[in-house]
Amino acid sequence: MSDILLEVKNLKKYFKTPKGMLHAVDDVSFTIERGKTLGIVGESGCGKSTTGRCIMRLIEPTSGQVIFDGVDLASLSGRQMRKARKDIQIIFQDPFSSLDPRQTVLQAIAEPIIQNKLIKGTAAIEKRVLELMETVGLAERLINSYPHELDGGRRQRIGIARALSVQPKLIICDEPVSALDVSIQAQILNLLEDLQEKLGLTYIFITHDLSVVNHFSDDIAVMYLGKMVEKAPAEELFAHPTHPYTKALLSAIPVPDLRYKQDRILLKGEIASPVNPPDQCRFRKRCYMSCDQCKGKEPSLVEMTPNHFVACHLCQIG
Amino acid sequence: MENKNDLILEVDHLTVNYELEDETVEAVRDVSFQLGRGKTLGLVGETGAGKTTTALSILNLIPDPPGVIKGGTIKLDGDNVLDKTIKEMSRIRGKEVSMIFQDPMTSLNPVFTVGDQIAEAIMIHEKLDKKAAFEKAQEMLQIVGIPGERAAEYPHQFSGGMKQRVVIAIALACNPQLLIADEPTTALDVTIQAQVLDLMKELKKKYGMAMILITHDLGIIAETCDDVAVMYAGKIIERGSLEEVFNTARHPYTEGLFNSLPNIAERKERLKPIPGLMPDPTKLPKGCAFAPRCPYAKPSCIDVMPEERHFGGTHYCSCNAYDDESFHLEREDIVL
Repeated sequence: MSDILLEVKNLKKYFKTPKGMLHAVDDVSFTIERGKTLGIVGESGCGKSTTGRCIMRLIEPTSGQVIFDGVDLASLSGRQMRKARKDIQIIFQDPFSSLDPRQTVLQAIAEPIIQNKLIKGTAAIEKRVLELMETVGLAERLINSYPHELDGGRRQRIGIARALSVQPKLIICDEPVSALDVSIQAQILNLLEDLQEKLGLTYIFITHDLSVVNHFSDDIAVMYLGKMVEKAPAEELFAHPTHPYTKALLSAIPVPDLRYKQDRILLKGEIASPVNPPDQCRFRKRCYMSCDQCKGKEPSLVEMTPNHFVACHLCQIG
Repeated sequence: MENKNDLILEVDHLTVNYELEDETVEAVRDVSFQLGRGKTLGLVGETGAGKTTTALSILNLIPDPPGVIKGGTIKLDGDNVLDKTIKEMSRIRGKEVSMIFQDPMTSLNPVFTVGDQIAEAIMIHEKLDKKAAFEKAQEMLQIVGIPGERAAEYPHQFSGGMKQRVVIAIALACNPQLLIADEPTTALDVTIQAQVLDLMKELKKKYGMAMILITHDLGIIAETCDDVAVMYAGKIIERGSLEEVFNTARHPYTEGLFNSLPNIAERKERLKPIPGLMPDPTKLPKGCAFAPRCPYAKPSCIDVMPEERHFGGTHYCSCNAYDDESFHLEREDIVL
């Protein structure tokens, strides 16, 4: 049996808009091994959340394959897909809007268990909910509380407990800590790390915060306007960022350490429109290194050094 | 001691409560700080620490009811703003002190062009007719890096970063002496954040403004501020120059904040979060509000209000652990 849990091949998602086709995710491919974490980084509108949702088919991909544990999810019927979602769960960014305000903690965590008919009998379900609450660090006394009575960190723990309740293999974490305060952020990150170790979970960690990703991931993929522009093991990416966009992104993170001084690469302008993009490097107009070469065809992702992939004409010339 | 004339802002013993029907939220508790002309003070803390309430008090904009300024003075350029009438205040806001809010999407009016919105601020404070004010608005746009012709466009035609530039243009239109920026880049992407912070730094230098930057991001503080005040549960628990606070943090909460951060420079195996949660602001302990989460706390900390301890320069923190002279935090001082 191979170690690869998820393989995404040439995933595309185009949205029809009055102005033309919006290329939200454009030909993205990657694989994740069992028990590992892939970080997907990028700014708003780069397609990172859409990628996450396409994997679960919460959004139907336009084309491409999502092979999960040997099964192509795109070929499944609605009913089969619902079953498959038991193995793939998602944790959303905003614990304030992702919980039903009229459900108690018990009801919220029990819902997926009941939906999937995993356990029968009220007492048994409640026992399982209490177990899950303990796993994610929620005090037993909160079992009948409503979301509005809880702070963001605790709400996010409910989201995690809901995801864990069906014993998934893969969890897609879509900005799970960006709505939380730093001291709470660290608590949740540590919890996710512990759970991975204990339950052998595989994560896709979608975030705009590079420092969080660095801490958390085995591999990191950087996305820009629907394209994957660089992918490498986390340490390699931070040590040798190669794509001009990755370099700029890394240099833009404010570092809370006065010893750490670096030259900032300020990008010109803003992210371009993803509607009907030309067949060129999408970063070209903001790139501080672009040359005539870049006006040619869109660069493809090429393995520069082992496991380090870059999509840039200049870098590929050397 | 700094010369009184060098200070643009002196806040003394400011106390603000939100009085609700059956409970009182102690949002700001006896906060005092000073800010020199042309200096930048970073106000750090988590949600509910009282940062924004402190800032709103300076503009006398606390929503009342339920907000009540219980006591203290806020001297802006020597005058207490809390004594001003409504009319006097409206002359100060936008002219002497301006504020930038977190969310540029909601702080602009969607039915007026951005030029009109900048011109509005100018016409209130300067004797200019509409045409001249609009021309100045165009100049302001250019200063923040937006072509002047775009003054006739509406907010929805701009991206998030551009809108925040427009907000900055409005704030700076009348050359205020003090700019309060409340999480000005939190809603923006990192590369855009870098652009906006850069612009703010540059304009601050150009106009010699003082600035209070409210943020939860210690990285932004490190890059922008001269001084830092750390707030927790309505109090300033540590204050000092940027170097003092970042290199030789003294308060256990400040240490906890630094430990919670994933650091790019050093890929640590495990984060050390601060256990527990911020206390309920309606039921604060009698003594140190951080004591229930503090790894160094002694039983007495809950009951005894901490005193200010001074560490030379402007650096002080409020922590009773320093009663024991040999006490020091686990985090090692950084020697540059």
